[in-house]
Amino acid sequence: MKVIDMEVRLLRVDSRLLHGQVATNWAKVLKVDRILVVSDQVARDNIRKTLIRQASPPGIKVHVIPLMKMLRIYFDPRFNDFKALILVENPRDAQILVENGIQVKLVNVGALSFNSSRQMVTDSISVDQKDVEAFTWLHDQGVKLDIRKVSGDSSKDLWKVLTEKGLVKRGPNNIHA
Amino acid sequence: MTRREKILAYVKSQAGVNTQGLTTLAISEALGIIRSNVSKELNALVRENILQKSTGRPVRYLLAGTKTQSTTQNNTEKSVALHANKRKNFTVQEQQEKAAASMDETDFFETMIGRNDSLKNQVEQAKAAILYPPHGLNVLITGPTGSGKTYFANAMYQFAWGKNVLSQEGMTVFNCADYAHNPQLLMSQLFGYTKGAFTGANEDKDGLIQQADGGMLFLDEVHRLPPEGQEMIFYFMDHGTYNKLGESGKKHYADVRLVCATTEDPESSLLQTFVRRIPIMIQMPAFKERTMRERVAMMKRLLTIEANRIHRNIRLNEDVVQALIGSVTYGNVGQLKSNIQLVCAQGFLGNINNETEIKLDFDTMPTNIKDGLPRLASNRDEQSKLTKLLEPTMVIQPDNLTTAPADRDNYELPYNLYEVIGEKAQVLQDEGLDQAAINNFIMTDINVHLKSFYKNAKFDRTEKSFNEIIDQDIVDITNEIGAFLKEERYDVGENYLYGMSLHISSFIKRVQSGKPLRRVANNIISMVNDYPREFELAKKIKEMLEEHYQMPVPDSELYYLAILLASLKAEPETGKVGIVVAAHGDSTASSMVHVVRQLLSADNLESFDMALEMDPQTALHGIARKVKRVDRGNGVLLMVDMGSLGTFNNKLEELTGAFVKTIDMVTTAMVLEAARKSSLIDSDLDLIYHELTDFNGYSRPVVNEDQDNVSVGVGDSRQRAIVALCATGQGTAQKIKEILDGILVDHLIDDVVVIPISVVEMDKTLEDLKRNYHIIATTGITRPQIPVPFISLEDLLQGGGEKFIDMIEKMGDERKNDNVPVNLESSENLTEQKAQQYLAQYFTFINPKKLIGVLWNYCDYIAERVDFEFTNALRISVVMHLAGAIERYLTNSPITASDKEIESVRSEQLYQIIFQANELLETTLNLKLSEEEIYYIVKLFDTEVVK
Repeated sequence: MKVIDMEVRLLRVDSRLLHGQVATNWAKVLKVDRILVVSDQVARDNIRKTLIRQASPPGIKVHVIPLMKMLRIYFDPRFNDFKALILVENPRDAQILVENGIQVKLVNVGALSFNSSRQMVTDSISVDQKDVEAFTWLHDQGVKLDIRKVSGDSSKDLWKVLTEKGLVKRGPNNIHA
Repeated sequence: MTRREKILAYVKSQAGVNTQGLTTLAISEALGIIRSNVSKELNALVRENILQKSTGRPVRYLLAGTKTQSTTQNNTEKSVALHANKRKNFTVQEQQEKAAASMDETDFFETMIGRNDSLKNQVEQAKAAILYPPHGLNVLITGPTGSGKTYFANAMYQFAWGKNVLSQEGMTVFNCADYAHNPQLLMSQLFGYTKGAFTGANEDKDGLIQQADGGMLFLDEVHRLPPEGQEMIFYFMDHGTYNKLGESGKKHYADVRLVCATTEDPESSLLQTFVRRIPIMIQMPAFKERTMRERVAMMKRLLTIEANRIHRNIRLNEDVVQALIGSVTYGNVGQLKSNIQLVCAQGFLGNINNETEIKLDFDTMPTNIKDGLPRLASNRDEQSKLTKLLEPTMVIQPDNLTTAPADRDNYELPYNLYEVIGEKAQVLQDEGLDQAAINNFIMTDINVHLKSFYKNAKFDRTEKSFNEIIDQDIVDITNEIGAFLKEERYDVGENYLYGMSLHISSFIKRVQSGKPLRRVANNIISMVNDYPREFELAKKIKEMLEEHYQMPVPDSELYYLAILLASLKAEPETGKVGIVVAAHGDSTASSMVHVVRQLLSADNLESFDMALEMDPQTALHGIARKVKRVDRGNGVLLMVDMGSLGTFNNKLEELTGAFVKTIDMVTTAMVLEAARKSSLIDSDLDLIYHELTDFNGYSRPVVNEDQDNVSVGVGDSRQRAIVALCATGQGTAQKIKEILDGILVDHLIDDVVVIPISVVEMDKTLEDLKRNYHIIATTGITRPQIPVPFISLEDLLQGGGEKFIDMIEKMGDERKNDNVPVNLESSENLTEQKAQQYLAQYFTFINPKKLIGVLWNYCDYIAERVDFEFTNALRISVVMHLAGAIERYLTNSPITASDKEIESVRSEQLYQIIFQANELLETTLNLKLSEEEIYYIVKLFDTEVVK
């Protein structure tokens, strides 16, 4: 019998992680019992850790953990009961998680903040070359790239946006065969 | 003058001039103190009942107790208007007339001990709460276990009934802990339900709230009420209406005065939205905080109750009084009551043929009560106060007036103990037993009764978690065996109940499941050879088990029982080295000591908190008192944080006559280590001192051998492990493993294993384990002599497991060396700087430098108009969220929320405040946030406030 791993109800990329109220909306709608904020940097930054814990909705536990630990507990049967929302800061981290076996059909992309080395592709998402590579990899694995701020928004396909901007060359659905 | 004193002085100076009270803004401008700080101090003063605040907006603050004509009138009118449709419309006059008419009736509080002293404020608060027009005010009584919360609530009811403010007689009592395991059932009891609300709801049923209509409802252990229950209750407090389970509209109405009680800190155990709606907080003092005169008076009154029951005088000497008063530890008056019942029962039995008087005799009292005498004597101050109040002999006469307070007192036995004793003695006498045998027999009986009763009544939380694991039947047989061991004068320690019952439980389960019985290894047999006494006792216990369960118990079990007994044997109390922790700050030292006490159940340490403004002389004498208290003749280790505290060593030795050694830069880990070391037999002050000066925290592995044999993980490490011990390594220890594993998973700790082992050849097993594991803590039926924290079974099962793991988590963090605590709350500059930095980092279309001021004002505006504390961390969250909202506006990418969601927040008070704050944004930035955005802002605050 196949061992059932931890249930990841959503993998969301948002450079603000849990700041603001938006991510907690997802947590409620998806009825998760854990929010796992996965970032090597934040796990070392006590101020951000404190703030993120502070922003947690009541009744849902928030943990800030490094990538390695996320992978360890995902495959550890003791944590199989978790219904988790995973938040990562950038698409590269999402790629690492999926590359190492975390099963998702969709990656939700919230906001990716801008700086001068990046290019805006929607009003809240900006990307650089590394991000594009990560998104391309995810797309190639058949993972849908979904743009929604909150669950009630209508979904937009990030891959389509990237294609329209000429940042990627393949069509939106070429690998779903 | 501190900031708080300045503010208070100003409010006082304005009291005559400005009868309406002062706004935060006015005070801020007058004194030149930042508004948010003024607001923080004002709220603190309100919490301490020094100031009160008006209910309207903007909030005005005035001295507590002042009732300006205009504000009172306003408030009353407002609340009357609010409830006019649904409530009976009492006018102020009616209410006052009613109260005046009954003024000459007996005031129940007049007989309460401490009404003019320790309970003066409490009684005044209670009366005010009851008489406050039009419907009285809701009350929360807090106080430690046994401090008299139920008694006080009863008194409030009696008073209210006497004043004719209730239309229904009798106080409805509900203990939220009774149904805490089943929130649905709890809510249905409280609010009632409609037919079909859930399976088995075959008809409509009223809840207790309806039953209490017109009267008083006492919610005991209110912290056990689930959050949704608290929400329903506070809705009910606000509106007087509620719905039954299975209904949607709040269409039921009841007029109920609520009195709630909790042993927990309401700040952390109740929803803040709930606490905010309870205007009167009454804090019951612990027994130790009562004056000595009151303590004696309470003892006398409790003795009088017993004298009335047995219709005889009770005679007792000074030493008995001292022992009784000193015997009260964590359980307060409730414990005193139980102890008095026990010694009276004993005295009654010893003087059963004396028709006029019973004598309480010190020598025959149970040890735990006798211990009260030296405990009291160790505090000279207390003892001398007490001696002044006492005659050599005291005689308590029945007065036929004093009775136990109304029913439902947790400490009241459900039957007449004295009748039971009389009857039993008669029966035994008829059977021809001699008096000594009868006494012995009945005393055992009484002990078992009172103990099990006392446990049930008071430690419901313990018992609950315990009962989840162990059947009552097993607890009973364990108690029976305990009584037998006592008869045999075999002294077992505090772990007995847990250790033995878990052992029996796993044995029985093993037999019932048909698993093969344990084989006895040779090493066990050789170990038992060292314990012949235990082996003999084990034979008897085996017989008792066989009789109880009507099945044969294999001989192999004898060996395990013998080992269990040897492990549980009470350690002789040697003169431990005492520890005093002294540090600057209001609670730094006490919180360190608190953690350590809970982890190690240590009794040889004390804390001294040195407020920053305290002068060194006061501190010195304060610390000297603590040193005296913990000195058992083997010296005292003083652990301090810094500064003048480090120079006290010699002066303390002079003042106390105890040997003192001082260690500075104290941390919790160090205190833990000191307490652990001092608890081991044969440790002396010098040794502990030297070991501690080399101590660098638990982060480094204690044993450095076999470094090459590294197993998993990174850097140093062998895998971290907690070792759980029991006789076999398979029964209790396995249970402990299950409990701890659950907690570890909950805390997301995946790199600590729990290893159950047997006490047989424990030292060798531990040595073996150390090769592959870094043992970070131990737990179980006995404490192995290795230098890591230990948690007793009792603490573990009483919910100490969570704290234990917390501690381990912290130790892990210390290892990583990155756990420099952040205190945003102490610095506004840091906060603003951080907020600006994050704005720059995460947002594209806004200018953080220009926007930060606007957002900061936005927060100020809201902070002034809400009554929860606006922490700096919350401020950053709000700033970040608003920046997001503004950016969404600028990029024209609206956020969505359903109409229903938006509608759901419209009626909240916060909605109005946020709406107004947004108007500020509109003026400054010329942008208008949508209804959807307001919804999310309200939700952001809700998230915060609920915590």
